[in-house]
Amino acid sequence: MLLQPQKRISERALTVWRITATIYSFFTLLLCGGIIALTIIFDWPIWISVIAVLILLIESYFFIYLFPRIKWKRWRYEVREQELELQQGIFIVKRTLVPMIRVQHVDTRQGPILRKYDLATVTVSTAATIHEIPALEVEEAEEMRIYISKLARVADEDV
Amino acid sequence: MSEPKRLHPITAVLNAIKTLKELIIPFFAFVVFGSKGGGIFSIIGGIVVLVLILVAGIFSWLRYTYRIEEGELRIEYGLFVRKKRYIPFERIQSLDLSEGIFHRPFGLVKVKVETAGASGTIDGAEATLTAISKAEAAMIQEVLQKVKTLGVEDIEKLDEIQEPKEQILYKISPRELLILASTSGGVGVVISAVIAFITQFDELIPYKTVFHELEEFVASGVLFVSLIVFIGFLLAWIISVIWMMIKYTDFTLKRVENDLIITRGLLEKRQITVPLGRIQGIRISENILRQPFGYSSIYIESAGGSAANAESASVNILPLIKKARISRLIEDHIDGYDLDIQTTPAPKRALKRYIFRGWLVVIPIAIILIFFFKLWGALSLLLLPLSAFWSYLEYKDAGWSQQGNQLTLSYRTFVKHTVFMQKHKIQTLALKESFFQRKENLASIEATLMSGLGGAGGRVTDLEEKDVELMYKWFSRESEKAQS
Repeated sequence: MLLQPQKRISERALTVWRITATIYSFFTLLLCGGIIALTIIFDWPIWISVIAVLILLIESYFFIYLFPRIKWKRWRYEVREQELELQQGIFIVKRTLVPMIRVQHVDTRQGPILRKYDLATVTVSTAATIHEIPALEVEEAEEMRIYISKLARVADEDV
Repeated sequence: MSEPKRLHPITAVLNAIKTLKELIIPFFAFVVFGSKGGGIFSIIGGIVVLVLILVAGIFSWLRYTYRIEEGELRIEYGLFVRKKRYIPFERIQSLDLSEGIFHRPFGLVKVKVETAGASGTIDGAEATLTAISKAEAAMIQEVLQKVKTLGVEDIEKLDEIQEPKEQILYKISPRELLILASTSGGVGVVISAVIAFITQFDELIPYKTVFHELEEFVASGVLFVSLIVFIGFLLAWIISVIWMMIKYTDFTLKRVENDLIITRGLLEKRQITVPLGRIQGIRISENILRQPFGYSSIYIESAGGSAANAESASVNILPLIKKARISRLIEDHIDGYDLDIQTTPAPKRALKRYIFRGWLVVIPIAIILIFFFKLWGALSLLLLPLSAFWSYLEYKDAGWSQQGNQLTLSYRTFVKHTVFMQKHKIQTLALKESFFQRKENLASIEATLMSGLGGAGGRVTDLEEKDVELMYKWFSRESEKAQS
């Protein structure tokens, strides 16, 4: 049995994801309100609005509450001297190994919400793939970027 | 060696044709929308545009010079803005030669200069010499060869080097060409091209009347209609066969020094170079028509090439070959790959998951069809056994093997692929496991190679969990830590 990678991403990631999901569900709310308005204006059967509200509630529950929780619980990573290991996924757990010698460059990225919570996303690119570690504490992300790029430089092998 | 040379004058015409090709859509728009306001203007306008394009073609030919100087290929061009591009020969990965129908009467070739990372350019090549004589191209190739073997400093000692060793590995026989063309599955391409072509002209053809008549026609005889459809398919197939035969005429695979060189084509002769050092992996593909007869085609994933030029990233080095012959042909030339490997299949309990996944797509389609077409829609239930059969094939073709430094994955998408990869060429390896897979102790594996600017590789679903973990540990450089 393989053991999971050890490190978790910042707990504040949960808050950030929930905020993002809330913003998205705001659009559903608008849509839902529109449907209810139309139902009232055109005298449509009542069950249409009931379904709309139900969909809104279910969506909010899953995308604001449940999925971020599972996503956070699942997200693990580990930076070792010769490789980077990631674990992610809600329904399907995906574990990825990225050897350091394959890493071409590392970036950190920060959107407005992430910045507010002092978080950053680290992006690791190989010649063929791009991997993301979302929502790390800024200092940790910065450290990791420097660490990985140092290790990646050492192991310079032909592609 | 250093005086600047021009390309062959035919380049002017080729330039004009290329511009015209790019302008064809705006040109059509112009004809369609412009024709309402006075025909004479649009005709004059059209002629003026044509002349302008031709003149521009001539000038850009006049302005384009190239020379070989100090171990660099130096190109200067540009109509209004003079541009200079100097490419050191060491940086050139390969020269791709092709001859179009305009080249052949004059004995010319088009040379594409490929470098390691020419991602910025549109056509994927660092530079293109549109038309030069074959002797010139041979000269450039010779210089490139010398720089590669001797280094730049010794480039002046040109004459001392002997002819590069050349060894023909494979030449397609007429019989193989026929089999290749008739089993290529190019029919789909032809049919979709025809459909795309027809939909372009929906203003010209009165579809409504046609369809109305067609309706009555259909009513008059189902048999007749199916005959017409059948003939249509047959025609499409014949076109695709001819097209493939033209494309692959005289297919030859050569080894010259450290490159594999492919030449092929009847109307447009192409030459593709694969430097052996750039090989990332080998893929054997068998489509359903060829698999029973033991035929397959072999691709090489190469780090060269570019986004727009997929052909030099995943190169078909042997379009049709008996599976048994592959390893004998290739092993001497591409080091470190064992192509005669038995793969471990997916466990039996994976089969029901394969079938279920197929049905997941088919059943909704069947339900919709039955809902709309009632009894006739029930015919779609035939899709169920069909899909199950296909899933069975997918299940049977799934497999893996790991020996020493080599990972082999086999799987079927539409075609059965077997990908051979070496540990130090694999970019990333991923293990995937869903909740349901975990209950059955199954997992999927995905390996990614570099191919051109993107990725290629293999993905096998529903293998034994502990097998997948084995591969995962094998790829991990610090597997002790991964286990601890």
